[in-house]
Amino acid sequence: MTWRSWLKLGLLLAPGLGLILVFIGSVVYIAIAQSFGLFSLSGESEFSLEYWSRMFERLTYNRAIGYSLYVGFASAFLAVLFAYPLAVWLRRPFPGSLTISAVLKAPLLVHGLVAAFLYVNIISYHGLVNQIMQGLGIWDGPHRLQNDSRAIGVLILQTWKNMPFALLLLVGSVSAISDDVLDAAADLGAGPFARFRRVIAPLSVSATQAALVIVFVGALADFSFQVIAGPVNKQSLSQLMVFFKGYGRWHDAAVVAVTLMGLGIAGSALLALVSRFILRGGRLS
Amino acid sequence: MKAVSVKNASMHFGDFTAVQDVSFDVGEGEFITLLGPSGCGKTTLLKMISGFLQPSSGIIEIGGKDVTHVPPERRDTAMCFQSYALFPHLSVADNLQFGLKQKRLLTAERKQRLQDVATKLDLTAQLDKLPNQLSGGQQQRVALGRALTMRPSVVLFDEPLSNLDAKLRDSVRMEIRKIQRDYNLAAIYVTHDQGEALAMSDRILIMNNGRIEQAGTPHEIYGTPNTSFVADFIGDANILDAEVIGEEGAGRWRLGTQIGELIAASAAPPVAKTLKVCWRPEKAQFGPGTENTITADITHRAFQGNYTDLFVMIASAPQRVQWRDNAVGLADSLTMHIRPEDIIFLEAIA
Repeated sequence: MTWRSWLKLGLLLAPGLGLILVFIGSVVYIAIAQSFGLFSLSGESEFSLEYWSRMFERLTYNRAIGYSLYVGFASAFLAVLFAYPLAVWLRRPFPGSLTISAVLKAPLLVHGLVAAFLYVNIISYHGLVNQIMQGLGIWDGPHRLQNDSRAIGVLILQTWKNMPFALLLLVGSVSAISDDVLDAAADLGAGPFARFRRVIAPLSVSATQAALVIVFVGALADFSFQVIAGPVNKQSLSQLMVFFKGYGRWHDAAVVAVTLMGLGIAGSALLALVSRFILRGGRLS
Repeated sequence: MKAVSVKNASMHFGDFTAVQDVSFDVGEGEFITLLGPSGCGKTTLLKMISGFLQPSSGIIEIGGKDVTHVPPERRDTAMCFQSYALFPHLSVADNLQFGLKQKRLLTAERKQRLQDVATKLDLTAQLDKLPNQLSGGQQQRVALGRALTMRPSVVLFDEPLSNLDAKLRDSVRMEIRKIQRDYNLAAIYVTHDQGEALAMSDRILIMNNGRIEQAGTPHEIYGTPNTSFVADFIGDANILDAEVIGEEGAGRWRLGTQIGELIAASAAPPVAKTLKVCWRPEKAQFGPGTENTITADITHRAFQGNYTDLFVMIASAPQRVQWRDNAVGLADSLTMHIRPEDIIFLEAIA
């Protein structure tokens, strides 16, 4: 390429690259720098590994990592698990499929905080679930369902909120598989499950990876569902970050933020690789 | 033993009838073609045999067993699709072995069949490639090979050559027929290409509006069509309304038509007093004859290489003549005759 071509290419890429470098790159850079004692907002800036070493020793931090990873991976897995059969079912239009599809996507229009409050109302000590269970005579008295220690409430909310998004990605991908290809598989002896395992799953692997990664990153950094419906004895990384920030401990907050970013990248890569390996029947290529 | 039996099969989609009361048999090693225009029901019928569609009524038997309600994955058929339907994420070798893995054949047996088919179809050098790295002809061969590795009772072809160019179509057509004979497979082939049907089939079933209009060998279908639809669909035909004026001796009839009185000779008598008749454009004989001599005005001529298409007007009736001798010249009219045995009786005029 000549220097003119490079220049043209650079100019064409400038708006996109500029946005990435200035708005995203600078934020990432500042967060990383702050985690090493630089860009101090409340004192002298000095390079230090102290914030990291102190954080690694903190039990709350280590538990928050485990907890956030659990919520991230479980939410991604559950959202895709529920979305896949629906995507296969809605692959070809049938009477009523448009309505079903619209209803399934409704959670995309409800803000997460609103959904969390609705959910809490339903499962609260005197909420709908408790009243129904007592009314049916299954439970003698009300049970405490809110803020459960295993974060089931958070997982339900995450799955409810993210499943439609995974569904959008998967329906597009699964619909692109031609009927002839699936008919050919059936003709060659593949039953419904074998058709899914050997044809649909490998051909929709990119959409699955995208759905898993996007849901994982969102759920890993969840704050609103955790604060409203999450367990009271565990903190997510986002909660921890906000906690540090609230006390003006910007360097500690930055350490947690960089941890979130690192886990986001590593977890995404892991999910992408593992899902590809599984859906392609033990092959990465 | 019959490889396939279709008995009174019908298929309705709401108010629309795609296939209506169709019955036919396919013998072992027989190659039959379902031929008809788009929308005549031939692909629907093929999908009923393969199990992708459940007939609204009727019975389908494969190898003497009723499979009407058996899903496609449990039928002993293999289909070659118009779009090839190769698995894009699998190599040629994996495509060819897909059904064998599904059947859980032993690795040695699988490899043996793969090698056998790859050698026969000249695909050995392509085994590691993905389908999108192959030409159309190679993809077609993989689709065929994938069906053949299964060694099914019957192979179903759904317009498998329609995406190939004319030259390649000819060679793949011969290849398919040769392989079908080598493996002694029963084959049902769907096409709307009459040339393909005539060249490949042991028997042709002409379909129209969901029904079988006529069944027979290519020679029977071409030489003695039963209806004007068949006459017009297979080859070219000049179709005329005719009235039987009288019998001119054994098996000979005098007819009144738009192009004048004609003598027709046929072993079978006409089906009605007023009926349709036809004659093939290539059957016209240059010059006057003892019977059926006609003078025609040439309105248009189209050079076709090894013959010339002449569009002529005979007593205000447009007809078509094919002349092997391209030296017909630039004359405005010609005299020709049609042999009585070349005039074919068709259906009655209602």
